[in-house]
Amino acid sequence: MNLGEGVQLVSFGLLTALMLGSALGVVLAQSVVYSAFLLGLTFTGMAGLYLLLNADFVAAAQILVYVGAVNVLILFGVMLVNKQMAFEKVPGLALRQATTGLVCAGLFGLLTTVALTTPWMLSTTTPAGDGAIVAIAQHLFSDFLLPFEVASVLLLMALIGAIVLARRDLLMDNSATGLSDDLELKLPERPKASLSSGGEP
Amino acid sequence: MLKFLKKVGDYAGEAVQAAKYIGQGLSVTFDHMQRRPVTVQYPYEKLIPSERYRGRIHFEYDKCIACEVCVRVCPINLPVVDYDFNKATKKKELKSYSIDFGVCIFCGNCVEFCPTNCLSMTEEYELASYDRHDLNFDSVALGRMPYKVTDDPMVTPLRELAYLPKGEMDPHGVPDGERRAGRRPEEILEELEGAQPHS
Amino acid sequence: MTSGIDLQGSFIRALIDLGLSPGVAKAIWIPLPLLLMLIGATIGVLVVVWLERKISAAAQQRVGPEFAGPLGTLQPVADGVKLLFKEDIIPASTDPWLFTIGPALVVIPVFLSYLIVPFGQNLNITNLGLGIFLWIALSSIAPIGLLMSGYSSNNKYSLLGGLRAAAQSISYEIPLALAVLAVVMMSNSLSTVDIVNQQTGYGILGWNLWRQPLGFLIFWIAALAECERLPFDLPEAEEELVAGYQTEYAGMRFALFYLGSYVNLTLSALLVAVLYLGGWEFPISIDWLTGLAGLDPATPWLQIITAALGILTVLFKTYLLVFLAVLLRWTVPRVRIDQLLDLGWKFLLPVALANLLLTAGLKITFPAFFGG
Repeated sequence: MNLGEGVQLVSFGLLTALMLGSALGVVLAQSVVYSAFLLGLTFTGMAGLYLLLNADFVAAAQILVYVGAVNVLILFGVMLVNKQMAFEKVPGLALRQATTGLVCAGLFGLLTTVALTTPWMLSTTTPAGDGAIVAIAQHLFSDFLLPFEVASVLLLMALIGAIVLARRDLLMDNSATGLSDDLELKLPERPKASLSSGGEP
Repeated sequence: MLKFLKKVGDYAGEAVQAAKYIGQGLSVTFDHMQRRPVTVQYPYEKLIPSERYRGRIHFEYDKCIACEVCVRVCPINLPVVDYDFNKATKKKELKSYSIDFGVCIFCGNCVEFCPTNCLSMTEEYELASYDRHDLNFDSVALGRMPYKVTDDPMVTPLRELAYLPKGEMDPHGVPDGERRAGRRPEEILEELEGAQPHS
Repeated sequence: MTSGIDLQGSFIRALIDLGLSPGVAKAIWIPLPLLLMLIGATIGVLVVVWLERKISAAAQQRVGPEFAGPLGTLQPVADGVKLLFKEDIIPASTDPWLFTIGPALVVIPVFLSYLIVPFGQNLNITNLGLGIFLWIALSSIAPIGLLMSGYSSNNKYSLLGGLRAAAQSISYEIPLALAVLAVVMMSNSLSTVDIVNQQTGYGILGWNLWRQPLGFLIFWIAALAECERLPFDLPEAEEELVAGYQTEYAGMRFALFYLGSYVNLTLSALLVAVLYLGGWEFPISIDWLTGLAGLDPATPWLQIITAALGILTVLFKTYLLVFLAVLLRWTVPRVRIDQLLDLGWKFLLPVALANLLLTAGLKITFPAFFGG
């Protein structure tokens, strides 16, 4: 075993431990914020695994999309919710957790047996390396064009949906009618129903 | 379509204008870089205050007639004048006089109106203290001679820009006796009196 | 195209000649450029801090640091030593773990990004095929660190500053990436070395600045916003948010933020120099000059001079851009948060998209000028 293989093995071990640990942390941490940060760590570990597989573009994309965008958005969501809420005592919590653990362990065992019994075929083609970008682009623009476009349409729908949900149409011309009901210094909102009906010009 | 293009054009025009103004601002900032630094290395160098500088007020106990004009002209009636009326001589005898420089705004009205000139402005401005009550100067503290920048051996006195010789911009290394630019007030007075014969 | 001097190859060959195995020789080589770059980046920060203070002073008709060392050059060192010896405070009811990891998460990606900065044909740590994309990916980690330190400080100003900083970083990442994409499209490669090579040969006329003036502006504005430099420094605005996410930090943890911001500024200036100002290319093409003088580009002394000149050129361009950033700092007033997001989403993003489209069109129409 030469130096490179040794380094690879050790990094694989470290990354696996990191990912398993942080993934367990995501599930088991009491605080939502810890879970969110640990999720970022899990994503980073996954990027490290991609690097070990010689897929550095995918690794960088993993960092950019999952750590830099998805995880930050999750954190934003967690931090912008300013509702102080104490968790209520759930009756029979121990039993519920035990059942959840049991189901999870069963699922894990099932997947492990599948992973161990399947005769995996090792790919003999050499990794694309730096040419991976070109290969990915060719796939995206030929045989994976439809999924790619559908995914983008899906994202667009989510984007527009978020805007429709969050948008508040304020009626600005209230000051002309009178200031009597303006005590709260709030502009009245147009009711949401008229927006969703879609009949308005 | 045309309307939209006009909108885009207007927007682009505004962006270009904004860029132009930022460029102008940058050139101003750049121009400032070659100007003379105005820094005075303070505890080691100090500017000489000008003649009309309104610093701490000096008070001469013996000249005061306890008339309380200074109290009346003061915007906040700050000076505290304590006196006894001597029935025999029919004169006020001053017992104590104090001004709180923590409150004083150095407007100079008291100095201006004092009938006996017992109040005067000094060039002392270093009035920092650990306790604001220390700034309440009594007649003894008010009567102390002011600190002078030019007398302090630890300090390099620097002249202000208007007191520098003609063509000189940097106060460092200007000899003491060097005349400042322009005519001195007494010369202007002399000239005025010469031109206007005493009537 | 000459390959220039190959330090790595000659170093490893020398070690192999000494009787070491090739693997060990390579393993000895690997940390050297990393260490050199780390030291270089840190010293670069000292220089930038000194420059910033001196230029700021000049712009405000002051003298600036004067007593620490000749012309105050040791002032940043004094600052650093002061921060090093300050008490390490973790305020009450903060989250000590997140509070400690936050600054490190801000600094580490910035230093990692130096992996891809080239100072010459072979004078870089690695010539990654991923190149500039690595920087974009790494710089997207920083907001997590900012959110972490903002959240853990147990301070509303810190939280607001952290949220603002993260929002700003995310918003300006997109125009930045689009501007980079236009450059990448012209050079057909993400590698920084290839991007510079595509600009060489014609001296100052070959630089991407002339082909991508819009991209240059977008990149520079977005880079300033990413570094939280003054027109866009509202996440750490002292007057409004009492320094934002840095409020509760002191000593070495604060020093990490400070270091990170200046390393980031230097990095951005370096990358502008690489992407738009021709990297190590001298304003007059060296190849052309040597050809005129009838010299062989492979002459050893000429190669050394070219390499040294290349490093100096990159540094000169970088510090020129840093100077511009400092000048901008004292010229432009701070924007509000809504203006910031307006500028990012409603101005830079459409303009960057238009620039990308324009570049693609020009590339198809004039493949000779815009990279075939």
